[in-house]
Amino acid sequence: MASKKSHIRQSLGSRIFDVFLYLFMILFAFAMVYPFWNQLIISFNEGSDTVYGGLTFWPRKFTIDNYTYVFRRMNLPKGVFMSVMRVVVGTFTSLFCTSMLAYIVSIKTFAGRKFIRIVFLITMYFGGGMIPTYLLFVNLHLTESFTVYWLPGLISAYNMILISSYMQGIPDSLAESARMDGASELRTFFRIILPLCKPVLAALAIMVAVGHWNSWFDVYIYNPSGDYDTLQMYLRKILLNAEAAQKLQNDQKKYEAMRHLTPTSVRAATTMIVTIPIVMVYPFFQKYFISGITIGAVKG
Amino acid sequence: MAFGRKHAVVSQEEASRYVKYEKKKGALAKSLRTQKEIWIISFLALAWVILFCYVPMAGNIIAFYQWFPGQSLANSKFVGLDNFTRFFKLPAFKTVMRNTLVISGLSLTVGFMAPIIFALLLNEIQNRLFKKVVQTISYLPYFVSWVVVASIMLFLLGTEGAINQFLMWIGFLDKPINYLSRADMFWGILTTANIWKGLGWSAIIYISAITGVDQELYQAGAVDGLGRFGKVWHITIPGILPTIVVLFILGIGGILNAGFEQQLLIGTASTQKVYEVIDTYVYKYGIQQGNYTFGTAVGLMKSIFGFFLVWLTNYISGKVLDLRIF
Repeated sequence: MASKKSHIRQSLGSRIFDVFLYLFMILFAFAMVYPFWNQLIISFNEGSDTVYGGLTFWPRKFTIDNYTYVFRRMNLPKGVFMSVMRVVVGTFTSLFCTSMLAYIVSIKTFAGRKFIRIVFLITMYFGGGMIPTYLLFVNLHLTESFTVYWLPGLISAYNMILISSYMQGIPDSLAESARMDGASELRTFFRIILPLCKPVLAALAIMVAVGHWNSWFDVYIYNPSGDYDTLQMYLRKILLNAEAAQKLQNDQKKYEAMRHLTPTSVRAATTMIVTIPIVMVYPFFQKYFISGITIGAVKG
Repeated sequence: MAFGRKHAVVSQEEASRYVKYEKKKGALAKSLRTQKEIWIISFLALAWVILFCYVPMAGNIIAFYQWFPGQSLANSKFVGLDNFTRFFKLPAFKTVMRNTLVISGLSLTVGFMAPIIFALLLNEIQNRLFKKVVQTISYLPYFVSWVVVASIMLFLLGTEGAINQFLMWIGFLDKPINYLSRADMFWGILTTANIWKGLGWSAIIYISAITGVDQELYQAGAVDGLGRFGKVWHITIPGILPTIVVLFILGIGGILNAGFEQQLLIGTASTQKVYEVIDTYVYKYGIQQGNYTFGTAVGLMKSIFGFFLVWLTNYISGKVLDLRIF
């Protein structure tokens, strides 16, 4: 009897807790999403109206002028091109080279595998630091080039370890039989091993790609001329650079149609353009990056 | 007799070593023949890693010299630890160290607990669809850049922003505050932004650790009369403790990494005295103003200190909790 009573009391407390838990989680989800939503409605609201404030859940004076301006006058397509190129080239080269090296350090009959593994492992713990790296890139004439986006990140020791530990889970007999048939090591890698590594490569691809899409500081210090500006750099310029605001003002004097624009509304539109591709893509890769983190945790 | 046997063992070992060596020599020659492409790729990879990882590592040596770009190191004056001691004597040293320690102190306490609490709470949700949706939403901010976050913050925290509007609507404020220009609020705002951006992502590892806890323990706990909260306290938390300790050790090692992009993007002239941390300082005085040797010395000191801290925490946690990461 007594135990039954306590059971009921507990489930009541537990039920009250559940109510608060669900409420909390709904608030939490709101706090995660609302800032983006706020930005979205500002980007679709007339700039001259936004300054009055009070925009909360819905645009008051709907317009797409902010987007039109960003695409027409700010040369945004070039930024889109640079960002996409950077993501595609950077992700492809990095995964290609890293997975090939991961294969090499997994070949049991290869004498140099231990040495190479150690040489790369050391780079995980000791870095060059900001200034020596900067000075090296300047000396190598990597500044003002597209190369600086992909070459320095060609191989990641951490990803190498993840891929090679995945490869070690593949039965040796598969690679052995290919070698018996006279296939070279590279052929074995491309035909047999690489296709089997798809899950781990997908997990790393999304991480590397997002990293490339989001990075702006290397653009800022290595390519200051603006010839290689990515989308993030466009946004940063509107955010912190008076020049972009000045350009908008000049445009407004020239074109009647732009008088409703403000730096704020233009910035909101740019922010959304940078954000939307990621928001569309990441939920579909969820399975992969969660497994990526979990493998990393076990290995680390 | 014992002596003789030992001697015999040694010579046997030597003999086998010799055989191994001969084998190795033969194997190497064969490998150079049959695995030629592998060797070529390996040398390319080594060339890359030497150039892009080891050369900058060696480049830290300029911290001990009075060196200017374009000058050879042989012609530069060796100044020992002068560049290092200069940092301690600067008036900025105290401010920079204080900001670094306060900001990462907040990350290591509040910021460290938040994902753990979130993971534990999420685990209590029975409805699987709701749980999945909340988790997916939780790591949305992780995937956007700091530039985007800074832009969003300028809107939300600006004088016409939603937060001022809301606080004025409920009567909490009479007139709007420009939050980002307030030095007294900067640490709180920065920590909130860090948590907002990283919480869902950091929670993934705890969530997977929670699923790894042996389910039989919960049944045994129920038999022993543990309630819902008792199970969390006595089973789930001890179950994920190793994960927590490992991440905390790594966090301690990064105590001097108090963020960088965030500060450069949302910091303003009026908040500089509270946002300037070691990394932003190295960037501004090292790269922007061209004090390369000095900046390198500060950066190097930071890495060495971080390394020492990881070792120390690892040692202490090994002694106290019997948990080590290396």
